[in-house]
Amino acid sequence: MLLGETVARLLEFVVPVFADVATLDTISPEGDFRRIGSRVEGPGREELERALLRRRPVPEAPVGLPRALASAQSNLIERVSDDNLRALAADEADFELLRALELRSAVFVPLRARGRTVGALACGVGTSGREYGEADLRFAEVLSARLALALDNAGLSAAVSGLEQRLEATLTNLAEAVLVREPGGPIVFANPAAARLLGLASAAEVVSATAEQLMGLFDVFDERGLPLRLDDLPSTHAGRGVQARPMLVRNVIRSTGEQRWLLHKATPVFDAEGQPVLVVNVIEDLTEVKRAELAQRLLAEAGHALSSSLDYRDTLQQVAELAVPGLADWCAVLVRGDDGVIEQVAEAGVGEHAVAAEVIGTGDAKLLAGVLTVPLAIAGQPAIGALSLAIAESGRQFDETDLVLARELGHRVAMAIENARLYAERSLIATTLQRSLLPPELPDIPGFRLAGFYQAAGEQNDVGGDFYDVFEVPGGWMVVVGDVAGRGAEAAALTSLSRYTLRTAGKLLGDPIAALEQLNAALREQPGLSLVSVCCVLLRGADGDAVADLVLAGHPPPLHLRQGVPRPVGVFAPFLGAYERGEWTPVTLGLEPGDQLVLYTDGVLDTVGERERFGEERLIETLRDAAGPAEAVARIEEAVGRFAEGPQVDDTAVIVVERLADS
Amino acid sequence: MRLTSHLSLNLRRTGDVSVVRARGDIDLSTLAEAMAALDTAREGAGALFLDLRDLDFMDTSGLRLIIEEQRRAAAAGYRFAVVRGSRKVQRLFEIAGFAATDELFVEAPPPPTGGGDPA
Repeated sequence: MLLGETVARLLEFVVPVFADVATLDTISPEGDFRRIGSRVEGPGREELERALLRRRPVPEAPVGLPRALASAQSNLIERVSDDNLRALAADEADFELLRALELRSAVFVPLRARGRTVGALACGVGTSGREYGEADLRFAEVLSARLALALDNAGLSAAVSGLEQRLEATLTNLAEAVLVREPGGPIVFANPAAARLLGLASAAEVVSATAEQLMGLFDVFDERGLPLRLDDLPSTHAGRGVQARPMLVRNVIRSTGEQRWLLHKATPVFDAEGQPVLVVNVIEDLTEVKRAELAQRLLAEAGHALSSSLDYRDTLQQVAELAVPGLADWCAVLVRGDDGVIEQVAEAGVGEHAVAAEVIGTGDAKLLAGVLTVPLAIAGQPAIGALSLAIAESGRQFDETDLVLARELGHRVAMAIENARLYAERSLIATTLQRSLLPPELPDIPGFRLAGFYQAAGEQNDVGGDFYDVFEVPGGWMVVVGDVAGRGAEAAALTSLSRYTLRTAGKLLGDPIAALEQLNAALREQPGLSLVSVCCVLLRGADGDAVADLVLAGHPPPLHLRQGVPRPVGVFAPFLGAYERGEWTPVTLGLEPGDQLVLYTDGVLDTVGERERFGEERLIETLRDAAGPAEAVARIEEAVGRFAEGPQVDDTAVIVVERLADS
Repeated sequence: MRLTSHLSLNLRRTGDVSVVRARGDIDLSTLAEAMAALDTAREGAGALFLDLRDLDFMDTSGLRLIIEEQRRAAAAGYRFAVVRGSRKVQRLFEIAGFAATDELFVEAPPPPTGGGDPA
């Protein structure tokens, strides 16, 4: 301790040259008394010194130190008496100690410097046989003036060195790297964090290196990937006295390839003339934070790209480009097709081909630093491809964090591909299904003429809940029109079921009621209540006698036109799918040449107009004197079209059959 | 100008007898409301009446609702009946094979003061 040394030296000077016994005390600016030294000449000195060091003067004593401190004036005791000692002693033991000093004379001097009492000096003689007089007091005063100054300076430097020590302790334990250098000059201070950051063994190694040497250990890039030199860093700007903005750099250690993200901050320190004399650099390691940020951004952007389109070849290319150069120098996506062939569908960055080109060009071999391949897989399913990443030029290395990120990316890519496939499949199914539900081509029935009209309501104008069908059966032809209660995909499924059940049953059994019973049973097997209304007509014609057997199931009656007069025909009966057993009653109609039978669904009658619905009467009127199926259909289409106000909710199907004259 | 479908429903509860009175149209566009009213009325009811006297129009979706309620009532053991509507409305039941005298139909809902229900 600087102070301790000073005290020791001072007391060595005083004892034994001037005194046999001396004590030195300091008074802090707050008034705290502290005995900082004692020295005794002669036998038993150590014990006496220790005792004196522990001793505190009695504050109220009218003589000696207390008086010197209180009065800020020195005082002399020429002949030390027991009374004096008693006045100075705190107790009997203290008195014995003072007596043991064998004091004959003593001087007590306050030490004053810079306008305040900074301590006190007490000197005594006795064992050496000397005595003090006034002259000695003067000498002691002169001496103490010097002592006071020395003590004060020592005290100050103690304070400073204490401060320095605390600062050093702080800097040593700081996580951030701190480097202090002279502008354009050497590094004068570095903390252990700086040494770790720079990959050196100790702070001492840092201090002995030049900034250029240190820069040579790394490749440094800015956020966009452009290389940086020492001149670009804030430290250099600060060295010119300019407060530079903090700069985030990507720092790659040349020897190991390790990459960090560092935030450089530099502040100049100016002298009295305003010239920069030091630059304090603080370097913060933001690698973890930055990598987490980059990873999140990459995943978010990849997610956007993947969901932007179902054309996954396109989106995968975007993803590969996103991965470079953030995650790697090269990225490729490979997918295994249904035929088992693995195909590369996307690539970005400097990869094998570029490397091969370089090797061919230079004739030198090249080792890729790292290749990371992750599967494109969704949990629980086999992988459908792979995502490959490689480091070529940048000298970086893959680590655990990169692996986790790459796996997550692979997972998202796999999901996107899977979604695209599912959508394509579903699309295909939907299209195929739709095609099967469209009204069939009307066949040519010998002896009859047909016309039909179909209008689905709603947005999906292709498929609805109404259907018609015409097919040959043993003994004739069946014409059916039907209406599924409800809308949407479920209704469309029932439409399909109904058409094909009736067709199959009709072809097998040749009988309308039997066909309806079949459909009724099939509908009863459906979950929930599935209702379908049907009008089923069997056309039989033998030798000029054409008849129509018609059966209704929950369906409005068809209109029989004879000589232009429409008349509803048929017996009402329950919907199909409503009851376990139904009584469906056939009606047999003789068809003369020119007779028409108009089958329709309730969508025609329920068409919403300005004030009311289309209704049966209006339909009858519309059909009066219609000259044939085509005209009948056209009339209905036109009348309904004219009558309708706004979008309609129900589908419309019409089929008209005319018995032709025999040829 | 256009004829628009609208439906207003009124539920009256006396003891365990629920009466749902429908005014307007029961079709595809108002079906959900009609279903909801029946769902509410059905809860804890020993008898449920659907009063169609003020109904302007009903299509097959309404019919389906009624057939469904019929099935539900038969399975759960409560009485379900429909108060006869206008000729136009009843025509729909006719097309669906319901006889005019079918036990589904009643002339009027039970009076509010309770007591036996009129046939």
